[in-house]
Amino acid sequence: MNLSPSMLAVIAILGLLGVGFYALLASRNLIKVIVGLQILVKGSMLAFVLAGRLVGNVTLGQSLALTVIVVDTIVAVIGLAISVQIRRHFGTLDVKALTTLRR
Amino acid sequence: MAATFILLSIGIPWLGALLVWWVGDQHPKLQHTLAVVFSVLAGAAALALIPNAATAAAVTFPVGGLFGDFTFIPDGLGVFLAAVATVVGSLAVIFSVNYMHGEHQLGRYYAMVLFFIGAMVGLVLTSNLLLVFVFWEITALCSYALISFHNDDPKAVKGGIKALIITQIGGVGLLAGALLVYSYFGTYDLNYFIANAGSLPAGVLAAAAFGFLIAAAAKSAQFPFQTWLPDAMEAPTPISALIHAATMVNAGVYLLARFYPAFKDVPGWTTAVVIVGMLSALLAALMACVATDLKRVLAYSTVSQLGYMVYAIGAGGVFASQFHLFSHSVFKALLFLAAGAVIHAVGTRDMRQMGALGKQMPFVRAVFVIGALALAGLPILNGFWSKELVLEAGLHGGPIWAFVVMVFVAGLTAFYTFRCVYLVFYGEARSHLHGHDAQTAMKVSLGLLALGTLTTWLLVGPFGKLLHDTLPAHEIHALPLGEVALEIFTAPATYIALAVIAVGLLCWWMRDRLAGLASALTGLSRAAADSFGFEAVNRGIVSATQNSAEALRVTQTGLLNWNVLGILAGLVIVIAILAFGA
Amino acid sequence: MMYLLIVAGLLVCAIQAVRSARLLSSALWLAGASALTALFMYLLGAPEVAVIELSVGAGLVTVLFVFAINIAGEEEGLSGSPLPAPLTIALILIVVVSIGWLALPALNIELPMLIPMNLSSILWGSRAIDVLLQIVLIFAGTLGMLGMLGESKPAKPHHKEAQE
Repeated sequence: MNLSPSMLAVIAILGLLGVGFYALLASRNLIKVIVGLQILVKGSMLAFVLAGRLVGNVTLGQSLALTVIVVDTIVAVIGLAISVQIRRHFGTLDVKALTTLRR
Repeated sequence: MAATFILLSIGIPWLGALLVWWVGDQHPKLQHTLAVVFSVLAGAAALALIPNAATAAAVTFPVGGLFGDFTFIPDGLGVFLAAVATVVGSLAVIFSVNYMHGEHQLGRYYAMVLFFIGAMVGLVLTSNLLLVFVFWEITALCSYALISFHNDDPKAVKGGIKALIITQIGGVGLLAGALLVYSYFGTYDLNYFIANAGSLPAGVLAAAAFGFLIAAAAKSAQFPFQTWLPDAMEAPTPISALIHAATMVNAGVYLLARFYPAFKDVPGWTTAVVIVGMLSALLAALMACVATDLKRVLAYSTVSQLGYMVYAIGAGGVFASQFHLFSHSVFKALLFLAAGAVIHAVGTRDMRQMGALGKQMPFVRAVFVIGALALAGLPILNGFWSKELVLEAGLHGGPIWAFVVMVFVAGLTAFYTFRCVYLVFYGEARSHLHGHDAQTAMKVSLGLLALGTLTTWLLVGPFGKLLHDTLPAHEIHALPLGEVALEIFTAPATYIALAVIAVGLLCWWMRDRLAGLASALTGLSRAAADSFGFEAVNRGIVSATQNSAEALRVTQTGLLNWNVLGILAGLVIVIAILAFGA
Repeated sequence: MMYLLIVAGLLVCAIQAVRSARLLSSALWLAGASALTALFMYLLGAPEVAVIELSVGAGLVTVLFVFAINIAGEEEGLSGSPLPAPLTIALILIVVVSIGWLALPALNIELPMLIPMNLSSILWGSRAIDVLLQIVLIFAGTLGMLGMLGESKPAKPHHKEAQE
C-alpha cells in the first residue's frame, strides 16, 4: 500500500466528484444542493492545481483554480439568495416545488 | 478615429438602452428625452464614421483562438448601413415622443428600440461571421419583443412569435453556412472567406451560399417567407418604420450584398436570387393592390421593394441594390411615419373608413404624397433614380423574363400607391373620422425624411465612390452624378419603366371603365388577399415549430435532480467518446 | 502518510456534509472540507490559492451559509431522493470509475519538482481578460444578491400579480 501523492490526489478528486454528484442527484433540499455543488467544485479546484503541478506549471493551475473559486463563490452567493427568496415565496426549500414554470 | 466612432455608434445606443430602462417608467419625460438624445448621438457617431471608411479592421478584440478575433471594419457597405440604421432609427425615436405619449412601459419600448439599433450597427460593421450571427439573433429578439410590445393583444403576440420563428429558421441557415465556412478555413473572418471562396469544394460553397440565401430571405421577408412582415404590423407604427426601413429587413439584403463576390460563381445561385427577388416583388405588389389595411399596404410594398434589391444583387448590381436600399429606407420610413400620424389621429388602420383626410391633415398629406411618388418611382425623387438603376442592372445582368416582370411590377407599384393615397387623403369622407395634423416632434422627423426623399439621390456620386474605394472584392463602378443621370436618361429601360408606371397610374384613374377587367381578375385578387397560399405554408412552419416544442415538453420535468441526471448521462457519453476514440 | 490522512479527512467531511440531516452541521462539515482542500493545495505547491480558498471557501462562504440557513430556517421531511436510488448509485459509479480509469494510469507518477513562478504575472500576463471578467462577475454577484434580498417586500405583490 504505497500510493504516490498524485495518486492520492486523484482519489480525493474522484471522491469529491462522486459525493458532489450524489448530493446533486439525491437531495431535495435546495441548500443541500448548493452544498453538493460546493463539494463538486472543490474537486475540480484540486484537479486544476494537480494538473498544473504535473505539467510543471503550477501557477497556471493556480490561476485557473482562482477563477473557479470566484465563480463558485458567486454561485453560492446567488444560489443562497435565491433559496432564501424561494423559501419566502413558496414556504419550502423542496426542489419539487420549483416546477411551476412547466405548468 | 474610426475605432472610436465604431465603438460609440454601437455603445451609445446600448448604453442608452440601459439608462432608459434604469430610469424607470415613473419618469416618462426623462425617458423620452434620454432616448432621443442617445439615438441622435448614435446617429452623429455613425455619420462621423463615413469619412473614416476604410478596408482594414479598425477595432480588434482578441478573444483567444477558438472564435478568432472579434473585428469591426468600417467599410463602405458597413458605414452606410450603420448610418441608415442610426439616422432613420433616431428619426423614428423622435417620432415616438408624440406617438407613444402616455403609453405605459416606455422603458421596455425605448430600451428595446435602442438595443435594436445598436445591434444592427454591430451586425453591419463586424467582420467576424460568428459575431454576425450573434448580432443577427439580437435583432431577431428585439424585433420579436417590439412587435409584441402590446403584449395584452393576442394578435400582437402571435405576430411577434411568427416573426421570431421564421427569422430563426433563417438564422439556422446563417449558422450552418458560417460553421461550414469555419470548418474549412478555421477562421470566422469574412473577408478572408470572400477572398478565398474559390478554394472551397464546390458543394460546400453551394451549401453555404444557399444557407445564406435562406437566412436573407427569412430576414428580409422574401419569397417564400414573406408573410411575417405584414403580421408584424401589430407593432406600434414607429417600430414598423424601424423594422421596415432602418434595421431588420435591411439585414438580409446586406448579407446578400456582402457575400455576393463569394457566391456569384456558384451555379444557380444568382438565378435563385433573381427568382426570389422577382417572385417577392410580384406577389407582394399584387397583395398590396387588394389590401385594405393602410399599414399592410405599406408592408407589402416593403416586401416588393426588397424584392427589387434582391433581384438587383442577383443580376450583379450590388451598387444599384444598395442605392435602392438607401432610397427605400428614407422614403419608406417617411411613408410609415406619415401613416402613423394618420393612424394616431383617426384611430383606425382601415383605409375604407378613411378618405378626404387631406383637408384636415395638409402637412401629413404633403409628405405622404412625396413618399408615395418616390415609391412609385416618379422622376427626380430618390426612388426614381435607384429603381431605374436596379432595372438597368437587371437588363444588363439578369434574364430578360425577370426584367419584364420587374417592369410590370413597377406599374403595379404605381397603381397600388395611388390607390392608397387616394383612399386615405382624397375622395369623399366615408365616415366621420376627425384627424388633427401632426404634432411637433412628428413634424420634425417627417419633414427631415421628406427633405431626404427629395434630395438623397444627389449623393449617388459620393455613395458610389465610398463603396468603390472600400469594397475591392465587389467590383463596383462608381460614376459621378452627372454620368449616372446621363446613363439613366439615355437608357431605354428608363422609358419602358416610366411608360409602364404611367399605365399603372392610368389604370387607377380609369378604374371605373376598367370594371370589366377588374371583375375578370376577381379570382386573382382573391388569391392575392389570401397571400397565394403562402400564408398557409408559413403558418404551417410556425405551428410545426410550436407543436414540436409542445411535444418536447415531456422531457422537461422541471425537477433539478432529473436535469443533473441528464447532464451526467451526457458526461458519460463524452467520456465514452474520449475513451474509445472518435 | 500526511496525504493519506488529508484525503481520508476530506472524504469524511464531504460525506458528512451531504449526509447530515441538519443544514447547519452540513455547512460546518463543508467548511472542514474546504479547509482540508486548502491544506492539500498548499502541499501541492499552490500556497496563494490555498490562502484564498481558506479565507473565501472556509470563511466567507460558511458565513453566508449560516446566514442563509438562519433566514430560511431548517426544514424537516426533505429526506427522500426524487430519483430511484440504484439509478443514482449506478450512474455515479459509472462516471467516477470511467474518469478514474481514463486518468489514473497516466497519473501514477511521482510529483515533479516545483518550479516557482509569479502568480500575478500569469494572471495579468496571459489571463487578463479572464481576470477583468471575474471582477465584473463579482460586482454582478454582489448586485444580484443585494437586489434579491432587498426586493423582498415589493416582490410579493408582483408575484401574486404574475400568478393571476
